[in-house]
Amino acid sequence: MEQPFTLTSEMREDCLVMATSGYVNNVGGETIAKEFGRHFENGTKHVVLNLAQSKVVNSIGMSFLIEIIEQLQDVEGKLIFTNLDPAVEKMLSIMGLFKFAGKEQTVEDALKSLTQQT
Amino acid sequence: MSQDNLVNRLSGQIESLQEAFRKLSKAATLKDLAGQFVGVVRSMFPAADIDLMYRATPAEHWEKLFNSGTPGLEDLLTIPAGGVPSSCTLDTPSTRILAVQRLVDKSFIGLVLSRMDERTEYSDSDVVSLRLFIHLFENAYQKMLSQRTEKGLIFSLNHRVLQLNSLIDTGIEVAKLDQDSSPQRLALERAASLTNASKGLVRIRSGERLKEEILFPTGFSVQSTSGGENRIATSFSFADDTYTFELFDKESRSGIIPFEDTDQLLLDALARQVHASLENRYLHQQALEKQKIEQDIAVAASIQQRILPTSLPSINGYDIAGINIPSKSVGGDYYDCILLPDGKYALIVADVAGKGVPAALLVSSLHAYLSAYLESTIPLDQLVRRLNTVIYNASTDDKFITSFIALLSPETGEIETISAGHNPAYLLRKDNTIQELNTGGVALGMLDIDFPYQTEQVTIEPGERLLLYTDGVTEATNEQNQLYDADVPLQQFVLRTKPERAELFIQSLISDIKRFTGNAPQNDDITALYLLRRGRDV
Repeated sequence: MEQPFTLTSEMREDCLVMATSGYVNNVGGETIAKEFGRHFENGTKHVVLNLAQSKVVNSIGMSFLIEIIEQLQDVEGKLIFTNLDPAVEKMLSIMGLFKFAGKEQTVEDALKSLTQQT
Repeated sequence: MSQDNLVNRLSGQIESLQEAFRKLSKAATLKDLAGQFVGVVRSMFPAADIDLMYRATPAEHWEKLFNSGTPGLEDLLTIPAGGVPSSCTLDTPSTRILAVQRLVDKSFIGLVLSRMDERTEYSDSDVVSLRLFIHLFENAYQKMLSQRTEKGLIFSLNHRVLQLNSLIDTGIEVAKLDQDSSPQRLALERAASLTNASKGLVRIRSGERLKEEILFPTGFSVQSTSGGENRIATSFSFADDTYTFELFDKESRSGIIPFEDTDQLLLDALARQVHASLENRYLHQQALEKQKIEQDIAVAASIQQRILPTSLPSINGYDIAGINIPSKSVGGDYYDCILLPDGKYALIVADVAGKGVPAALLVSSLHAYLSAYLESTIPLDQLVRRLNTVIYNASTDDKFITSFIALLSPETGEIETISAGHNPAYLLRKDNTIQELNTGGVALGMLDIDFPYQTEQVTIEPGERLLLYTDGVTEATNEQNQLYDADVPLQQFVLRTKPERAELFIQSLISDIKRFTGNAPQNDDITALYLLRRGRDV
């Protein structure tokens, strides 16, 4: 069952890797967006979002993710989702997030993919 | 200025305006738009201080979007009166241009352009140029709003598709019978997600007692929710339990908003899916149990088939036949004819109270003990007393066995009989009378006392016949619920039916019972054993 939302983050080279736990809703989405914004202002253009511990996402949470994707698009950056629960993956797909963001099985796969693109 | 110069200058200005609009129209937010706009204005007025402000409504204060640091400038900006959409004026002295523009959504943009060098004044031409740029801002703002609306519509449409898709998926997932997560937990998570509820719960009550409470997310305090209009709920009853689903605090980017009608529809639909899933699980469980019982019955039937004789022994000077027709796939009746070590034959008919597997198991016990005791050639009354004890110990309180045993000495025709609470056997005498054999005692396993059993001695003469049967014969009922033995007394059938072979008697008896019962279902096992002593007439 979904726990209250928490977020951890770290910089791996020039890539921001965030990992969530719990419901990605208004609170969760805003927390992710703030953490992203803090690094984006300092020039971070590559982001990996590990949703392994988040099995439930709502559309308000997704609207924050869309904003992050748009901001990264403006600077030719990229967001990659990893460790997606099948139901969450389907939700993000229907909402069109994968038109402009990537998805990988693991964080390591995502980092490798970003390295190959740069 | 020559005409060519004028054309060149105008062309340059048009290109500047086009380039400016291109930049401004890229902005996705008001902050972006303001930043782009200040850049455009600065390219036109490089030596100016620029202050840009935004006012959502006339009732609100100016919000600074770009600030030169000069205080109090917002006080200089006046909202145009009435239906006037904009103002753009030179201040006095002409070192400042003040501009206010009403935007498409009835908000306002305010601009103060100040000269860094206060000795130089702005011209009317500067005012006209700035007015053009402000119109560009207005158009870009309108485009930004249109794009935002369009994105919102696409997002909303995608969300509806998501809701529909998720509703179908959830229906499939909650219907899975082997999933680890409970259907109500999964449905709660999906309902919260699809309606943007920040919290939710499922309560399962049995009467007033709370059996289970599932919270989403875990650990939230129900008291912390807004309640009232920020709550929707639905419930259903299943197997004496009431399942209530509740969602709290619908989220939006601007805070908590009331739930919509479609949210209630979604919650109702998901709860119905859970209800259906619980019913299906129950039915599936029932089917599995039934299947298990049927397997047990099949095993028991197989055991019983081995217990019941496939053929009866051939007794010199006699003809014997028997039949057992169980009412269920496993019955509680038993019959046999066993050759004993001393040359006698034991004719046995027994009936266990009850049917199915427990009855079959008891029949199996009876068969085992009886076979063992008959081998020992102990007196018949003692044999039955021992049987009573072992059957009592082997059975539950509601189970007992009625039984009739006849020990035949074939050469003399002497028969020793004993009835343990069983129907009387009928001995058809040569004078066409029937002697009822009924001596004995209580049914086996009924009482745990050393109850005395009595035996009876008779002799079957040539031409005489003996019928042993269970109450499935006498109590066979027709569609009017009448008993076979009441309408056509069995004794009368025995008196008038005297074929040359025992097998023919059994066939006639079964045919007569079926004729009587018609289409009524067989509700008890039918068992009969018929012995005929051959004589001059037979």
